[in-house]
Amino acid sequence: MLKVDNINVYYGKIHAIKDVSFEVKEGEIVSLIGANGAGKSTTLKTISGLLRSKTGSVTFCGEDISKTDSYKLVSKGMAHVPEGRRIFLQMTVQENLEMGAYTSKSDIEKDLEDIYRRFPRLAERKNQIAGTLSGGEQQMLAMGRAMMSHPKLLILDEPSMGLAPILVQRIFDLIKELHESGTTILLVEQNAEMALSIADRAYVLESGRVVLSGTGEELAASDEIKKAYLGG
Amino acid sequence: MNFLSNLISGLSLGSIYALIALGYTMVYGIAKMLNFAHGDIIMVGAFAAIVFINNLGLPMILGVLLSVVVCVAVGVLVEKIAYKPLRNAPPLSVLITAIGVSYFLQSLAQLIFGTNQKAFPKFIQVAPVHIGELTIKGESIVTLAVTVTIMVVLTLFINKTRMGKAMRAVSEDRQAAELMGISVNRTITITFAIGSALASVAGSFYGLTYSFIGPYTGSMPGIKAFVAAVFGGIGSIPGAMLGGILLGIIENLAKAYISTELSDAIVFGVLILVLLVKPTGLLGKKINEKV
Repeated sequence: MLKVDNINVYYGKIHAIKDVSFEVKEGEIVSLIGANGAGKSTTLKTISGLLRSKTGSVTFCGEDISKTDSYKLVSKGMAHVPEGRRIFLQMTVQENLEMGAYTSKSDIEKDLEDIYRRFPRLAERKNQIAGTLSGGEQQMLAMGRAMMSHPKLLILDEPSMGLAPILVQRIFDLIKELHESGTTILLVEQNAEMALSIADRAYVLESGRVVLSGTGEELAASDEIKKAYLGG
Repeated sequence: MNFLSNLISGLSLGSIYALIALGYTMVYGIAKMLNFAHGDIIMVGAFAAIVFINNLGLPMILGVLLSVVVCVAVGVLVEKIAYKPLRNAPPLSVLITAIGVSYFLQSLAQLIFGTNQKAFPKFIQVAPVHIGELTIKGESIVTLAVTVTIMVVLTLFINKTRMGKAMRAVSEDRQAAELMGISVNRTITITFAIGSALASVAGSFYGLTYSFIGPYTGSMPGIKAFVAAVFGGIGSIPGAMLGGILLGIIENLAKAYISTELSDAIVFGVLILVLLVKPTGLLGKKINEKV
């Protein structure tokens, strides 16, 4: 479904992503793990067109999207929940969800109901300004907003960041639910243990390079990973 | 009674400032730039109306409406040619470009129309209204009615329509809006179109109020409207309306009761005082992000 082939991304003179290639097949959950600054978010931003690669290509559903404007990708079936959630803090909960459905051709009222059924907290607060929500609620809103476009591929950047363990569990349960209902998922996480536990396959990024890859189980069992990311 | 009539003409002048300030504040909020050429769009609109009415002999109201079309075209063209290539440039480069565009429009108007002031057609003639001892100019009433209607429609547009919500989304977080499938470039174009249309309407009413138009006519109301936008809280739409109207009232009352020469100084003095007490302007606010 998604194929990243030999991309190189620079911030000015800083070479942030070096010859990165990987693939996400339809129906998979793929995790990218790695330390702070390894290039995980940069990779995701390059996929969704917010940054550009100097080389190689990004292919989505058989189409080269390396030069496609970012905003056109939503209607092609890609949704990206960025790092730090980036919900519209001065807009209401409902308006945020409506923005998620900006390009949607389906029945928005019905989709809103679905989201509110899934997240009763958001239903209670639908006319509240999103900036007044707690961190966990904001993450739910960010995920709900992305779901409004019925993505084929959902890209999640650090969905567990800054959340209490019980909420992290809730987010991962939600990811599993979405996956079971047919959404392909590309997940970036610092919480390597959680990320590997639900991933079909995973890639490890280090200083802008893919240094390891394998199934979630293989990587979780590997000594190198245990030492570097799983605390022994 | 005198006070009331001064208040009402201040209100009418202020509503013109408010229309211009809306353009400043919307462009600032969405394109994150100060479009210092915005004031000159007023002048372009006023001259366009003069050409349509005096030179081409069109009916006055039609001429004024067509001037809106001209301004929208000029505003969108300026954005495409001068600002769009600088979308990722440092803010200072964009600011300097805007000042350049301002001089360009002024010089172009000078080349075409000469430096002399031209009479602006009285496109609306309404008899003054007398309520007891109070006399209100007909033009003031029409100006107020039109500007208030425009502001109500604009507020509904921004708050209720899909496009309006997309504009608010872009203004808050450009990248996140892009990830929602909103074209930032298109949104900015629409913002310039709306801002220029408002400036054009303001230009016609400004011409109606002051009767004469020259190549530099746009600069003073432009600066005052900018002040009004900052006064109300730049980026805030209700702020621009409030700021504009208050500025018009303060200016008119200062002229009537203190000094005509000092009225501008008083206007800017009030701005400084407000910014000392509330640096974000009257309705400007900052929301802290949760991480």
